[in-house]
Amino acid sequence: MSNITFSYSVIFGCLLTLSQWIWADRLFQPAIEQAAPERSLLLAISRAGDRLVAAGEQGVIIYSDDEALTWQQARVPSSTLLTAVHFFGKQTGWAVGHDGVVLHTQDGGQSWVMQLDGAKVNQLRVDAVTAELQYQRSLETVDPERLENLGYQLDDAKAALDGVPSTPLLDLFFVDAQTGYAVGAYGLFLVTHDGGQHWRYKGQILPNPDSLHLNRIIKTKQGRLLILGEAGLLMQSEDKGENWQAIDLPYQGSFFSTVEADDGLYLMGLRGTVLKRSVDNEGVTVWDYVDSGLTATINDSVIIGHHAYLVGQGGALLKKQGDSFEPFLQRGLRSYSAVESVGHYLVVVGEGGVSRIDVSGGAGK
Amino acid sequence: MKRLSSILLWPINTSEKLAEYFLFTYRKMLLIFFLLATVFFTWQASHIRPDASFVKMIPAQHPFVENYIRYKDDLAGLGNSIRVVVAAKDGDIFSAEFQSTLKQVTDELFFIPGVDRSALKSIWTPNVRWTEVTEDGFVGGPVIPAKYDGSKESLEWVRTNILRSGQVGILVGNDFRSAMVQVPLFDKDPETGEKLNYKAFSALLETLVRDKYSSDTVSIHITGFAKIVGDLIDGAFEVALFFAIAFVITMVLLYLYSGSVMGTIIPLVCSLAAVIWQLGILNLLGYGIDPYSMLVPFLVFAIAVSHGVQIVNTITLESAINGAEKLPAAKHAFKTIYIPGLTALISDGIGFITLMVIEIQVIQDLAVAASIGVAVIILTNLMLLPLLMSYVGVGRNAIAKAKRGIEKKNSHWHLLSVFATKKGAIVAVLVAIGLAVLGLYGSKGLQIGDLDVGAPELRADSRYNIDNHFITSNYSTSSDVFVVMVSTPEEHCSRYETLALVDRFQFYLRNVSGVQSSISLVDVSERVTAGLNEGSLKWRSVIRNQYVINASLSYVPAGLMNSSCSLLPVIIFLDDHKAETLKAVTVAVDRFAAEYETDEITFNMAAGKAGFEAATNEVIEMAQYEMLIWVYSVVSFLCLLTFRSLRTVVCIIAPLVLTSILCQALMAKLGIGVKVATLPVIALGVGIGVDYGIYIYSKMQTYLQQGHSLPAAYLETLQSTGKSVAFTGLTLAIGVILWTLSPIKFQADMGVLLTFMFIWNMLGALILLPAIACLLHPKEAVIETAD
Repeated sequence: MSNITFSYSVIFGCLLTLSQWIWADRLFQPAIEQAAPERSLLLAISRAGDRLVAAGEQGVIIYSDDEALTWQQARVPSSTLLTAVHFFGKQTGWAVGHDGVVLHTQDGGQSWVMQLDGAKVNQLRVDAVTAELQYQRSLETVDPERLENLGYQLDDAKAALDGVPSTPLLDLFFVDAQTGYAVGAYGLFLVTHDGGQHWRYKGQILPNPDSLHLNRIIKTKQGRLLILGEAGLLMQSEDKGENWQAIDLPYQGSFFSTVEADDGLYLMGLRGTVLKRSVDNEGVTVWDYVDSGLTATINDSVIIGHHAYLVGQGGALLKKQGDSFEPFLQRGLRSYSAVESVGHYLVVVGEGGVSRIDVSGGAGK
Repeated sequence: MKRLSSILLWPINTSEKLAEYFLFTYRKMLLIFFLLATVFFTWQASHIRPDASFVKMIPAQHPFVENYIRYKDDLAGLGNSIRVVVAAKDGDIFSAEFQSTLKQVTDELFFIPGVDRSALKSIWTPNVRWTEVTEDGFVGGPVIPAKYDGSKESLEWVRTNILRSGQVGILVGNDFRSAMVQVPLFDKDPETGEKLNYKAFSALLETLVRDKYSSDTVSIHITGFAKIVGDLIDGAFEVALFFAIAFVITMVLLYLYSGSVMGTIIPLVCSLAAVIWQLGILNLLGYGIDPYSMLVPFLVFAIAVSHGVQIVNTITLESAINGAEKLPAAKHAFKTIYIPGLTALISDGIGFITLMVIEIQVIQDLAVAASIGVAVIILTNLMLLPLLMSYVGVGRNAIAKAKRGIEKKNSHWHLLSVFATKKGAIVAVLVAIGLAVLGLYGSKGLQIGDLDVGAPELRADSRYNIDNHFITSNYSTSSDVFVVMVSTPEEHCSRYETLALVDRFQFYLRNVSGVQSSISLVDVSERVTAGLNEGSLKWRSVIRNQYVINASLSYVPAGLMNSSCSLLPVIIFLDDHKAETLKAVTVAVDRFAAEYETDEITFNMAAGKAGFEAATNEVIEMAQYEMLIWVYSVVSFLCLLTFRSLRTVVCIIAPLVLTSILCQALMAKLGIGVKVATLPVIALGVGIGVDYGIYIYSKMQTYLQQGHSLPAAYLETLQSTGKSVAFTGLTLAIGVILWTLSPIKFQADMGVLLTFMFIWNMLGALILLPAIACLLHPKEAVIETAD
């Protein structure tokens, strides 16, 4: 073998190994096209105009233009478990998932590009915590506890750099086409102000010293941002996410979803726990337990007209009737993760894929 | 050619003279020898044991099976198990009475020898638990609460616990009207080292479980490989009854045909001796009888009778025409029949031997058994029979009857001799070509493998298949299981890289049509990870952090990894076990492996019932043509040696080819696939079918050489041997047609196909053979014009 051929084959071999290394990772493997992608494990569903877009295991994103009757699978450059999807308008949307992946679409969910992956998230986190630490140190009155905590966070962040690409992202929310937030495990909190072109790690500004999981981020009708987390964690921001306050709650379990009905805000926690926010006679916000009659976690809700519908673990399906929650139709066999509405149908996703439930009575696929 | 054939045929020709000399010189001594041998073989045959082993029914050399055998010990939990379902006839399982029965059945099964007690599972065993996440962490317990007392409240707890345990569709029927006991078995008893005795085990299940607990309120359903084998062994022996029936029918027909008491008894006795010798030799060689080779004695008997008939027929004619005495008549018959008989039997035997190309032990055993059988017939029916006849003769009645027959001379055989004239020949050949085209067209739908649901070895309406249907329709796990064994270096089976790849593999499999679902260690890791994260579905993934993975795998159900963590089976549940489905799965797995396999992580097919079926199908698909080529080449070559004319070979072989084509079309039509049971049928059909052609052509050749025209020679042939050929076809058909009544599906399939082949081969030899002979103008037929 001549030297040239030899060196070519060495170079080619290296390239091959490199490409195999990259392509062998699920983060960069395109999602496998499925014959029936709507039967995959799906965790999230969102409206993009009249279109429904759902996302779930192995990078599966599907969309439907006929009220959830038929579905097409989108082209997705990653194969990780996607946990949330959110659209702003008809065309522009984002999805997040495990390994710190953030995906973006500009064609209503048909094709997606990767905006961020876990390795970059790790770097963002180191940068952000380092900067915060420097800033805190430069202050005149140093808070030693805060410094210590940031020191631990930096150690963790640096350790993660050599390790695996990031922990899972669990939810996201865009207040407009430019400003969006993504939350995830171990206090992961990302913010963008340019539609996802650039993301910044902001976990260090949250009142979350124990790095608890952040399960959900929502915007209330009054324009506040709320982050729901593990172990009774609830944080609120009134200035588009610049500053956050923790709110004390009487329940120390995890929260997964909210319903903002006509009569107030409800927090949905582990094992059917429901807290209702109201303001008492003296103008103080109080949180009261509401009996959901359920021992399953509520994962998501949707409001159709004046009725809220809730879905959850073990096929739980509830309808809010006045002050109480009533089981709606028959309980499913598999867990539900998220719900959207189209016409008079609930479109529920979860284990086993998409279910389409007629809220005017009768259930069907 | 001439020289070659004379060299090759030398042993046969010489042996004829030698055999004749010995046979008729030392008659008494030989009789004593045959008698003693028969006594000895009877004793041997009485010791033959039933032998149904799983490994024998699958192709041992196939890479799938080799992979399985390599990992067999690690796959123990996956392999052999039975499922016993206790079903409430009315009401549901939440009654004190039902639960008490379920408990008793569980206990009963626990104590049956051969059961892997530690892995036995029902809602009454402590290894089945429910777990739940609360704010304080995990809580859990056995499904049957410790305080269970059969009261309404405690039954309500049972209901709640079942729902929490996730056993609906697994240990509890989807409709809550039945519950299952999963009973893993030891192939070898770990204490005594004894192999599991399927027959005894199956019988214990019947007496200790089904008979004891079936009642007006409760029914018992049992499935699993051990039960199939048990039922197969029981069913196979029912076939012995058919043997008796076939024997009686053959006897009656023989008497009607020969009109001679001795001419009936002697061939039967000799044929029976052949069967006894065959079984005796098998036992001597260490073979047992399995549900496939069970059928060989029938074949041997039928073949033996058919050759016996030829000899008796020749003796009768010789006595009638030439007035020969007993001894000379027998001698003449021996001389006339020995060479065509020997050629026919050798071609039978070699036809059977070609089955050895199929690397599936049961088929090879069948080939050995059948070959021994025909070899034995040479002794019992070509030698012992004329010997006995030389003492007893055919009797005056038979001779008188034969004389009358010859004088009549007329008969319906004229009708058939039409086919030896040009016009008739053209019509016959055109019809044959038409049939062949139709047959080829019809055989397009022919499929490889088993096509029926459930246990295809047994009939669709058998109790086993009814039980199986009950279980598949009330539980979520299919019985068609295909296992891919993912192998890794030691301690790597639970690494992130492995699990992520297997995760992708399982996701990829969902695209394969026919795949219902799959489970592996990955599902455990994903589910437990979600469980550890408060049950949130958003965590149902393989987490990259190895510590999280290890935590998620702190408890792994048996059979999902081996102890050294170098093997990770992916258990794939299929819709059915049709060849198409299996093929789709194997192709898909190969494709995935080609793309994603690394030096460390390999995807090895295949274990599980469907995995073995896939291997068997592959072997059969390849072997079917190989076997056809072999059997036809061998038989053609033998014919060429005997008759030294290619045209003659065409005359004899062409009808067989037509029958083979039509047989395939029939299989397609009846929905019988090419499988372990039906593949041998073609070889058996061709091997035996060639006998007719050889007998007819050799007789016809004699008449042609005497100067007869072809139609005349043919008519002579028909008048002398046509009847015995037709009779032979009949006896053979009787031998196998009764199999269609067998409780075992594949025996029935073999019965249908063999009957069809024997009869069509006979018709082909009687009609098509002279027609082709006429059209091809083999040298002898030229005389026709000179006539």
